[in-house]
Amino acid sequence: MTAVAAQKLVVTRGGATLLKGLSLSLGATGSVALIGPNGAGKTTLLKVLAGLEAPQSGAVQVGGQALASLSNAARARTIGFLPQHFEPHWDLAVRDLVRLGAERGGRPSGDHTSGDAVEQALVRYELRALERRRWSTLSGGESARVLLAMVLVADPPVLLADEPAAALDIRHRLEVVQALAARGRDRLSVVVVHDLDLAFRFFDRVVVLVDGQVAADGPAAELLDDRRLDAAFGVRFERIRTAGGSILQASTTTA
Amino acid sequence: MKPWLALGAALVLAIVVAACAGHDWVSPAALWRVIDGDRDLGSRLLFDWRLPRVLAAGCVGALLGLGGAIFQGVFRNPLAEPYLLGSAGGAALGATVALLVPLALPQSLLLPILAFAGAWGATLLVLGIARVAGAVDAAGLLLAGVAVAAILGALRSFLMLALSDETVSLQIVLSWVLGGVQTPTWPVLGLLALITLGCTGLALLLAGRLDVLGLGETMARAFGLDVTRFVAVAVLAGSVVVAAAVAFGGLVAFVGLAAPHIARWLVGPLHRALLPASALVGAIVVTLADAIARAALPPAEIPLGLVTAVAGGPFFILLLSRRLRA
Repeated sequence: MTAVAAQKLVVTRGGATLLKGLSLSLGATGSVALIGPNGAGKTTLLKVLAGLEAPQSGAVQVGGQALASLSNAARARTIGFLPQHFEPHWDLAVRDLVRLGAERGGRPSGDHTSGDAVEQALVRYELRALERRRWSTLSGGESARVLLAMVLVADPPVLLADEPAAALDIRHRLEVVQALAARGRDRLSVVVVHDLDLAFRFFDRVVVLVDGQVAADGPAAELLDDRRLDAAFGVRFERIRTAGGSILQASTTTA
Repeated sequence: MKPWLALGAALVLAIVVAACAGHDWVSPAALWRVIDGDRDLGSRLLFDWRLPRVLAAGCVGALLGLGGAIFQGVFRNPLAEPYLLGSAGGAALGATVALLVPLALPQSLLLPILAFAGAWGATLLVLGIARVAGAVDAAGLLLAGVAVAAILGALRSFLMLALSDETVSLQIVLSWVLGGVQTPTWPVLGLLALITLGCTGLALLLAGRLDVLGLGETMARAFGLDVTRFVAVAVLAGSVVVAAAVAFGGLVAFVGLAAPHIARWLVGPLHRALLPASALVGAIVVTLADAIARAALPPAEIPLGLVTAVAGGPFFILLLSRRLRA
């Protein structure tokens, strides 16, 4: 059980303040969608929560411990980070990529548990048939599954994902976003989601980031009707009820 | 298994061919008589002069291949090469100082130490310049490397002009700068072989982390790698390898660039296999290049660095054009 909490995070880079005293408390389980307009600081927040970037001030607690006090290996095993863009420098085979994910934090390569985990991940993400294929030969959907397998093969209690499905077609995007949200049942899954309809449909909780601060935060069902959502994106949303949930249709406020 | 057998067979063949080649060509049968223990004059010449030279060339080649593979892994850049990144130039400057400047320590000790210091310093300098300029990509590194290599080359030339006199021959420094394996005594060859094996072992310690680094800096950090520290350690290790290669073989261009590429075609990009395969390919290439250097224009000898540059230059241009098109 690993809860994550951020207190008064401030991140400045090149004169711009990307996070302005942001605080956020995340439970040990649950699926959280992080939404907000471009430049709101979503990626920066995720990287700070993952320990990949250090804030100028403020602190992150993971499972009751200061993130900065965790060893690199412990951090890597606790927090899975799924980047927005991933492009390995060398054209590795699918199986080797997943194995590198399983061996994170310096687990010995002969370790049986990581070997079994690789097999399970290959089966789970339907990569058995592709295991010898090289990265450069994969389609967009296939490489997204490989990335998922790489990060989730070690089954981290916390997952931080950065719009991993943004460039995929709708079926693959649904599959990826659903898989990420489903982890929230017994773990913590925080996902930056571009598609607002997917965010409100599949996630328990939605956090709206604007200008380096939390503009709104609450259960997806409640936040959907919140007018702060319109203000955050600078548009007027029409909420259209459907059998499966709601659709947000945006129009510009000036129209 | 197949590529390893092929590499092993190719290395044995290269050694046999190189041992037969030279000012006076000998038959493989004559080689066999040497190995069998025959010590008449011809066999003695082969045993004392040609065989150590051939094996030393193989070791230098292995070190160059290894150094290239480490640097390409650290810089995550298939165009990285000790010669182009300035580390070989730094080693050469250090070695020139050792050869020309009268210092308190004996030259045999000073040369490897200064070669290492030069290689390490130059690599850190290139890395630092590229970082400050915000250009840690292929082009940025290569440009920084070219600039540093040019400066180091000028310094080296200046030292050669200013410091050489009747007591220290320019010829020694020049032949060494142009690249060339000196014929070692058997004990020195043994030392070189030990260094080569040690460097291979050292490189293999980095293999897993080089693979993780190859996933990109963000992913490597997310997977628990302390990227900054590892890059520093790996550059240090790469500099040790390059310094050893330069100390025994002078400036030999392009082997460090080509060997890892050929090895990648044969065994794939995972460093556990790539590092030893690069060493084998480098050994094969330099053994053959040294044979050409000795045998092509008898009785003169072509500097080894010129042979590899003539062969390797076009290879680099090919790589560069393929990369620019991609």
